[in-house]
Amino acid sequence: MAIDFSYKETWLHKTNPSLKLIIIGLLFIQLLMIHNPNVLINYMVGTLLLYLFFTGHPWKRLFIIAIPFLLIFLTSSTSMIFFGQGEVTWMKWGLVHITEESFFRGLHLGFRGIIFAALGVIFALTTRPVYLFYSLMQQLKLKPKYAYSFMAAIRLIPIMIEEMQTLHYALKVRGVQAEKGIRGFYKKLKSYAIPLLSQSIRRAYRIAVAMEAKRFSNHTNRTYFYKLGFSRFDVLLMGCLLTIICLAYYTGIHHPYFSITDVRHNS
Amino acid sequence: MTSIAGMTNMRLKFPGEESLLFKDFSLSLNKGEKVLLLGPSGSGKSTLLQVLTGLIPDSVEVPMKADDIIIPDSWGFLFQDPDTQFCMPYVDEEIAFVLENLQVPREKMKSCIEYYLREAGLTFKDIHTKIQTLSGGMKQRLAIASVLALEPEVLFLDEPTAMLDPEGTKHVWETIKNVGENKTVVIVEHKIEHVIDFVDRVILLGDNGEIIADGSKEKVIDQHKQVLIDQGIWYPGVWEDYIQTRTRNTTAASINKEQEAVHLSDFSAYRGNNEVLHVEEANAHPGEWITVLGENGAGKSTLLLALMNLIKFKGTYRILEKEWKQIKLFADSITFVFQNPEFQFVTNSVYEEVAFTLKLKKWREEEISSRVNELLDLYHLQHHKHLHPYQLSTGQKRRLSVAASIVKEQPIILLDEPTFGQDAKNTFSLLEQLEQLKEEGAVIIMVTHDLNIAEHFATKVWRVENGKLVEEPPSPDYLEKQQTAVNL
Repeated sequence: MAIDFSYKETWLHKTNPSLKLIIIGLLFIQLLMIHNPNVLINYMVGTLLLYLFFTGHPWKRLFIIAIPFLLIFLTSSTSMIFFGQGEVTWMKWGLVHITEESFFRGLHLGFRGIIFAALGVIFALTTRPVYLFYSLMQQLKLKPKYAYSFMAAIRLIPIMIEEMQTLHYALKVRGVQAEKGIRGFYKKLKSYAIPLLSQSIRRAYRIAVAMEAKRFSNHTNRTYFYKLGFSRFDVLLMGCLLTIICLAYYTGIHHPYFSITDVRHNS
Repeated sequence: MTSIAGMTNMRLKFPGEESLLFKDFSLSLNKGEKVLLLGPSGSGKSTLLQVLTGLIPDSVEVPMKADDIIIPDSWGFLFQDPDTQFCMPYVDEEIAFVLENLQVPREKMKSCIEYYLREAGLTFKDIHTKIQTLSGGMKQRLAIASVLALEPEVLFLDEPTAMLDPEGTKHVWETIKNVGENKTVVIVEHKIEHVIDFVDRVILLGDNGEIIADGSKEKVIDQHKQVLIDQGIWYPGVWEDYIQTRTRNTTAASINKEQEAVHLSDFSAYRGNNEVLHVEEANAHPGEWITVLGENGAGKSTLLLALMNLIKFKGTYRILEKEWKQIKLFADSITFVFQNPEFQFVTNSVYEEVAFTLKLKKWREEEISSRVNELLDLYHLQHHKHLHPYQLSTGQKRRLSVAASIVKEQPIILLDEPTFGQDAKNTFSLLEQLEQLKEEGAVIIMVTHDLNIAEHFATKVWRVENGKLVEEPPSPDYLEKQQTAVNL
């Protein structure tokens, strides 16, 4: 069972992975400083455009990955909408108290969640793990010991998925029928986790010995098969993100959708 | 002659074990020798290779000491499992990993990678190919290529073909013979027919890590044949010897032609939405032993999974003359023994494992205990009944998985390469136990690569080729003997 995960390479794939990682990390922090929902909505549109048109993955996959976005939006916004503080009451029903302020604050949180998710997924979809770790070793001086262990671990994932399928069949053959409730869930967890873990530990151990048999050691002066540096695509990425942010602020402030400019309570 | 690797008075003990694995063990290997290490499982052959390369105690921490150890200046190690040798996802990256370790300059890497792949007999349209898509045999040859990148003087091979089909095994040994010609080669292997003409010295280990014999291959194999048989080593001619000493011959007498245990017609099995296998018509009668033969990826395992109702299929499928749709629980009439026994274990002790299905069926406690004990005796597991299944040896695990599968006495038994990785002794005892079940009226449907099983045990062969299943008699000479009895 091979999982097809092919994609078209776009300019986002050609950017430097370490730089991309740092930029996205910084954007996460910067996002927390935005309190104007008008700016945030524009921001969101910008990142979603990047997500949809520049990751090089087929539409169907992009939409499937986007389903959890909606879940993030619903869960993070509703709790604030229903229980947040505010003065202008729209509806009150028991504990649930919806006010104008809490409504907009909820939406704001939901949008922020979507942007977080979109940025993270953009990173994941446009970065080959191997390049990321090579770049981390070359640009950020990550120790090869850690980089190669991660790469070896990633190789194990498809093998584990296949094993899980076999295990599922094997349990069915033994006549195991799924029990309901928490007890059933616990039993199921146990019957899958232990064999999978035992196999994985054994495999990891063997891979480690095999790596050392190939003279892998913790020298820092190794040569690299892939040389990762910086290119015009990195400038393009930064330019692109900067444009999105500036445009978001400009239109958000000068052509607002709502009259609310700060969703924080008492400010 | 100069000694290139060896040790004097080595003592080694695994933590938690009661006794020393090796006690005052000495061995010396000469430059250019091709050495075969034989011994029963658990005698420490793999451990010995790891000591000779310094992997023990440098990488694997095992307490040991020795008066003197000679480790070769450059060596390469080929492991058993094709899936646990690589740390990178692509072919070129994997060899590059070795080159990086050796600090080969980046500009030279590409040509080096191509050179070593050629040496190992591999050609790719694009060397940036996913390792995942290669067959087991190709993976092992890739592992050879990356070992060659180390430019080793000595090659250590730890059962490199134990997990491969006959085709892959042949290619891998051919490659090893080519690349090993001018090197010192040390081989651990229990299927020795492919290596015996390549090696010139054989070292036979005993149960307690002592050397029983050491010398030229002719001398060791002739003088210690009984030891080889007792240790379950697959020496050339093991099947002939077994057939001669076999007390009972496979008969077709047990076949009950009146009844159809399995009937398939116009039957298609699917993986996802693709039809992988089509069966025009096939039947199995009680008391039959059917071996399913065919190349890797031909759809043999798919057939078993479909018969067990684990994947999608279409067409007519009757079990014991009952339409499959009327059957509530397939597990009541069919059982399935997987290739890897560990995946079948669902409990924490050998006893519980066998009792599991009966408990699900709500049998009475006394009935369960008598049935389970009967099976534990039959499969030589009585002494281990309180152990966790994972603590058993490979052969014991296999026996347990069979015992646990057949405890309900299902009339149809499916097996997916059950003899894979088993030594000769375990293989024969498993086959005899299955034969016993067959005599009692069960149907055995077994996927295997071992043509000897098809020849000496099967009453019928299902050959899977190009997505089609064809019924045929086991083999021409088998047919002659049986033609009067069975109308295949």
